[in-house]
Amino acid sequence: MTAAVRAVAKRDAHEETTPMSVAPPTEAPATEPLPPSPPSEPPLSQANTVVAGRAVHEEIRQLEAELDRMIDEASRRDVSTLLGDDEDDAPRPRPSGPIVEPRRPAEPTSEPTVFETARELLTTDFYLRKWGRLAMRNRSEEVDDFGHDPTYEARVRPLLDFLYHTYFRVECTGIEHVPAAGRCLLVANHSGTVPLDGLMLRTAIRREQESARDLRWLSEDFIYHFPFVGSIVNRLGAVRACPENAERLLGKEALVAVFPEGVKGIGKLFRERYRLQRFGRGGFIRLCLRTSTPIVPVAIVGAEETHPLLFRIEHLVKAVGLPYVPVTPTFPLLGPLGLVPAPTKWRIAFGEPLDLRGYGPEAADDELLVSRLAERVRATIQGMLDRTLGERKSVFFG
Amino acid sequence: MVLPKRRSSYPTPPDPAGGPGDELVRSGRSRVVAVTGAASFLGSNLVGVLEEDPEIARIVAIDIRPPATAGRKTRYYEVDFTQPTAEARLSEILAAEKVSTLAHLGFLSAPTHAVALAHELESVGTRHVMVAARHARVRKIVCWSQTMLYGADPSNPNFLSESHPLRAPESEPFFADKIAAEREALRFAERVPGAVVTILRTAPLLGPTVSNVVTRYLAHRVVPTMMGFDPLVQFLHEVDGIAAFKLAIDRDVPGTFNVVADGVLPLSTVIKLAGRIATPIPHPIAETLTSVLWLAQLADAPATFLRYLRFLCVADGAKARERMGFVPAYTTREAVLDFTNAQRLRDVRLLQETTV
Repeated sequence: MTAAVRAVAKRDAHEETTPMSVAPPTEAPATEPLPPSPPSEPPLSQANTVVAGRAVHEEIRQLEAELDRMIDEASRRDVSTLLGDDEDDAPRPRPSGPIVEPRRPAEPTSEPTVFETARELLTTDFYLRKWGRLAMRNRSEEVDDFGHDPTYEARVRPLLDFLYHTYFRVECTGIEHVPAAGRCLLVANHSGTVPLDGLMLRTAIRREQESARDLRWLSEDFIYHFPFVGSIVNRLGAVRACPENAERLLGKEALVAVFPEGVKGIGKLFRERYRLQRFGRGGFIRLCLRTSTPIVPVAIVGAEETHPLLFRIEHLVKAVGLPYVPVTPTFPLLGPLGLVPAPTKWRIAFGEPLDLRGYGPEAADDELLVSRLAERVRATIQGMLDRTLGERKSVFFG
Repeated sequence: MVLPKRRSSYPTPPDPAGGPGDELVRSGRSRVVAVTGAASFLGSNLVGVLEEDPEIARIVAIDIRPPATAGRKTRYYEVDFTQPTAEARLSEILAAEKVSTLAHLGFLSAPTHAVALAHELESVGTRHVMVAARHARVRKIVCWSQTMLYGADPSNPNFLSESHPLRAPESEPFFADKIAAEREALRFAERVPGAVVTILRTAPLLGPTVSNVVTRYLAHRVVPTMMGFDPLVQFLHEVDGIAAFKLAIDRDVPGTFNVVADGVLPLSTVIKLAGRIATPIPHPIAETLTSVLWLAQLADAPATFLRYLRFLCVADGAKARERMGFVPAYTTREAVLDFTNAQRLRDVRLLQETTV
């Protein structure tokens, strides 16, 4: 294979990765029903032109149908000689693409022989080209500043919807407290040994809130030490929890969720469930005071029973970056299968927003005020948790 | 390589209280700019750009090889920074040529096995340059640094600001020497009152002609990645890099600046856009393997560089935009695509390695 041919082949491979930019414009006009009168016609004899126009269009359609049929036939005959790859591409009468190109089935010389096809299949370029076509299939070419990938999320969305709707049967109350626009911080209790609450909260906002806002949640550091988890949740909208990131997000008027309990929250033992841990050092309050962001308290009920944590093994695992190894009734026993969450019934309650604008940004330096406000938010969420728990009759049926 | 003349497209930044910079810019025609590392990629292109600027009277090119872009205005001096006499000789040259601005670009673009030489060139060499500049009363220094020096770490914020400490592993001489060089430049700023020291920390340069550790990594058909890790990465198009240095020479903006392209991409997307095949390797295995291959001189970089394939090291370019008026012309994605276009031609040997 010569250098020039390989260059062309490579270019083709690249173009294939973005097929939408090439194909539709050539196809769209043929399939769309044409308007009754072309705009270039003068409006004098409207009735006449409409009738004449329709007749012409009828004729054109017939010719097109005839042509389509012929091309179809021709291409099917070509494809039958090929080795059966690209089957789904073949019947489409697309002017571009390598299959349709030999338009003269009468000439046997132009047909690729088995030998030629085999030779093509034996070159590495063929596979590289195939790979190139598949490479970007589930990726966006551009991601936002924090790595959220909309194409990837769209692929995972059915699974999230299943978890949300069928598996956990999430019920939302007070969603109207989440503002439709502008910066806002959701503060929630954290739970679940494998924290799914961030993902479910994001799904809840997407499905229930009227403007379907894009919620970004701040996740613990330690998942970024680990293979797979960090990069996957990052593509789905998680952001590493640190003041710089939170401030940048709020500066862009985003909707941000934090779990101030942090690792202590997900590491709660089963007997400690729904008892809120210390809210860090009130960093989220300082952040909200500095950026004058309203706080919406959120109580998530049901998530704390998904993985009933019996013990934490903390001694040996710090070296690899994990805070602890959880021991649940199922986890080390059943292997990775033990990490499947229990199908509990979830309720997410959104509370009334807490406006901190009255204090002014300089109040962020007032340690006493910060810890008092943090305690107030904690008490609010604890109250909401207790109320929702009081209404609940069964862990699994709500 | 043709560089767009981009000076006019920059918005004029708010004048920082009409400092000493004004007279320098206005005293235009007699300006003499010295460029160390003039035969390097950044150096030679910067010499070419300065040649075309009518406000620059003379360019003093300092390196061990003459820059290919040298024109009428350029005077080339051969100075080897690794020699002990470099300091005295450099001081003489700078004084004799009445250099007002010095762009210090004499750094290696990729890690080398000649560790001692690299140390002499970068760490000690920068000290030579700074001492010579002080003797010759050079008032303005523009120094090259890299955002890689922040170090890749899972605890990094998504966008590192200039005030973040440089945490690249100092056990790796490639980073340690550059961090030391940056410290030397800051010491010059402290000791010389009224001096303007601009440190530009560029993101890894990527583009059709530049060659460095990143372009070598992406030039492989099969590119190793760390299994389960997909950090966001950020690049700077080579043209933007050159433009940033020109801008720092034209304007007096003391301080440290991140010079980065807009936008970030996951590493896996970069590899896919470049048409490469990623092979995930578990990182403990990859580290051992790379150490061995590096010892055998078969790897592009030592194992310390693998951290950049696992963790974030992305810098925030807001300060350069606000204070310097630097607006990158290419996003990270466009830089990758531009590199890819040239790399395709190199793959089929339609484009030979250009020697600038």
